[in-house]
Amino acid sequence: MRKSLFTISTFARLNAKRFFRDKLAIFFTIVFPLMFLFVFGTLTKNNGTVSFNVALINQSNSSFAQNFVDQAKSSKILKVDKMTTSLDQAKEKMKRSQLDATIVLPKGFGDIVQGADYPAGQADVYYNENSKQGAQTLALILQQQFDVVNARHIKTIAPLSVATKSTQSPSLNRFDYTFSGLLGFSILGLGVFGPVNVFPELKKQGILRRFHTTPLRVWQYFVANVISQGFVGLFAIAALFISSVTFFHLHMKGSYLTFILFVLLSIFTIYGIGLALGGWAKNERQAAPLSNLVTFPMLFLSGTFFPRYLMPEWLQTVSGYLPLTPVVDGIRLIVTEGKGFLDVLPQMGLLLGWSVIIYLIAFRVFSWE
Amino acid sequence: MADNIVIVKNLTKKYADKKVVDGISFSVRRGEIFGILGPNGAGKTTTLEMIEAIREIDGGSASINHIDVSEHPQKVRYIIGVQPQSPAFQDKTKLKEIIELFSAAYGEKVDPMEMLKSVNLEEKANEYVENLSGGQRQRLSIAASLVHNPKVFFMDEPTTGLDPQARRNLWDLVKSIQKKGITVILTTHYLEEAEMLCDRVAIMDQGKIIALDSPHNLIKELLGRGFKKERHVEQADLEDVFIDLTGKKLRD
Repeated sequence: MRKSLFTISTFARLNAKRFFRDKLAIFFTIVFPLMFLFVFGTLTKNNGTVSFNVALINQSNSSFAQNFVDQAKSSKILKVDKMTTSLDQAKEKMKRSQLDATIVLPKGFGDIVQGADYPAGQADVYYNENSKQGAQTLALILQQQFDVVNARHIKTIAPLSVATKSTQSPSLNRFDYTFSGLLGFSILGLGVFGPVNVFPELKKQGILRRFHTTPLRVWQYFVANVISQGFVGLFAIAALFISSVTFFHLHMKGSYLTFILFVLLSIFTIYGIGLALGGWAKNERQAAPLSNLVTFPMLFLSGTFFPRYLMPEWLQTVSGYLPLTPVVDGIRLIVTEGKGFLDVLPQMGLLLGWSVIIYLIAFRVFSWE
Repeated sequence: MADNIVIVKNLTKKYADKKVVDGISFSVRRGEIFGILGPNGAGKTTTLEMIEAIREIDGGSASINHIDVSEHPQKVRYIIGVQPQSPAFQDKTKLKEIIELFSAAYGEKVDPMEMLKSVNLEEKANEYVENLSGGQRQRLSIAASLVHNPKVFFMDEPTTGLDPQARRNLWDLVKSIQKKGITVILTTHYLEEAEMLCDRVAIMDQGKIIALDSPHNLIKELLGRGFKKERHVEQADLEDVFIDLTGKKLRD
């Protein structure tokens, strides 16, 4: 037993060392998921604020109209397309959904009305049938702004009003889903794509067959690989975690110990899939199609790239049993919902169940050449 | 009867009804260098792999040091060292780490520098394996196969692809391994290599052993049958000229 421990620890240590010398492996395991994090993180960053892409066509030369244009351009709600200057151009762009609506300030808009001392006029909002809702919302917003201006000039009484009040309990934002999904993606990458490429290559060069002439046992080799990959995986996950906290204001609500244990169990389970596929395949051509067949459903149905709550109910039920789903769910529960060890027991149970099945298969189908 | 360390009886391997190794029997004496000679496809490598316990034996038996190979493959692995035909190692690994890795596979801890010194690679201990020349890789592979001090050492075409200097160096190395008391079994298709190194050779063709004796006796027997070479044999050949001009010094 002590000899086995020495065998395993030496193989695990040298495996991990090799990883950190391999720039390509570092890129795919650590840098690549980080790039995804920054892309998706930036995409979901300004969530919560609504904005409209509009063209603003000013045909009036009143100072009020000019003022309105200047304000609109600095507005956060309106994104004014400065390239569009005519209604025809704008209609063309609206057809291609590049614009949500077009605001036209007609000739004479904002001129002082004779016999009064305030400006008047009507702004037109043009829209396409497919952006009806957006245009109506935009018209409402404009009306509100005009009401403020109107109230300044003509005194009115408004007995009825609406006020918004926050419930003070923040709901999950899109980045919380992005984070747990990306961790799932990263674990899938280092657990499956890595070994599926590495093992057939080692077989092709006869490196595994050479180990087969020594007393090295399959289980010793497996354990050593699991340890080194778990170690490498913690690095990759730590890089994602630290970047999310630093750049995307992720708040870690749960316990770090639970988080680390859960991530290790996740890597263990998912890496078993890679071991089974890579250990079975005699060459890359055998490995690639089967690994795509296994990983694609998980990539799209386990909540890595878009949340599962968007799926129809039956699909949510089915995809809930995929090995990667408890990984993504568990991480979200721990990190963004602050759930404890006992709360993620269902997820851990599912992962352990999968591990038993996956590793039984992996031992069965492994070949040294 | 001499002390036989490897005993092979009626060994057979079939691939899709074709007998690649066809019921061969031979014994290897403790401490000798035993060569298996034959053209490509004669079944040399398959024979070795069955004795090394990495390929299943379809018929007959093989034993090493009185341990049956198919019954106790794991026990056999502890007492043999194997040099494959084209040794390869995982890249981004230092030479001394390769030695550590292989000794760990046997559950043993050895001094990597000492092992590397025995094959003249101690200066390269901290280099990566991908920076080695063909001859150096062969020598590293030999060191890796001997970390556990095996009783029998198998070498599959050890000098294929090496330049004459590296080949001569390897011959010296094989002889020094024999001096340590290790029995060596090697395959080759270089006849002068067999003549130079081997105490006895088995000549294999189409899965069968067609002759087995010391190189000297095999030649004597052929001459005894009245064989004459068509061409007059020079006292030196082109390889002697090459070595004379370029020297015996190792180039890698």
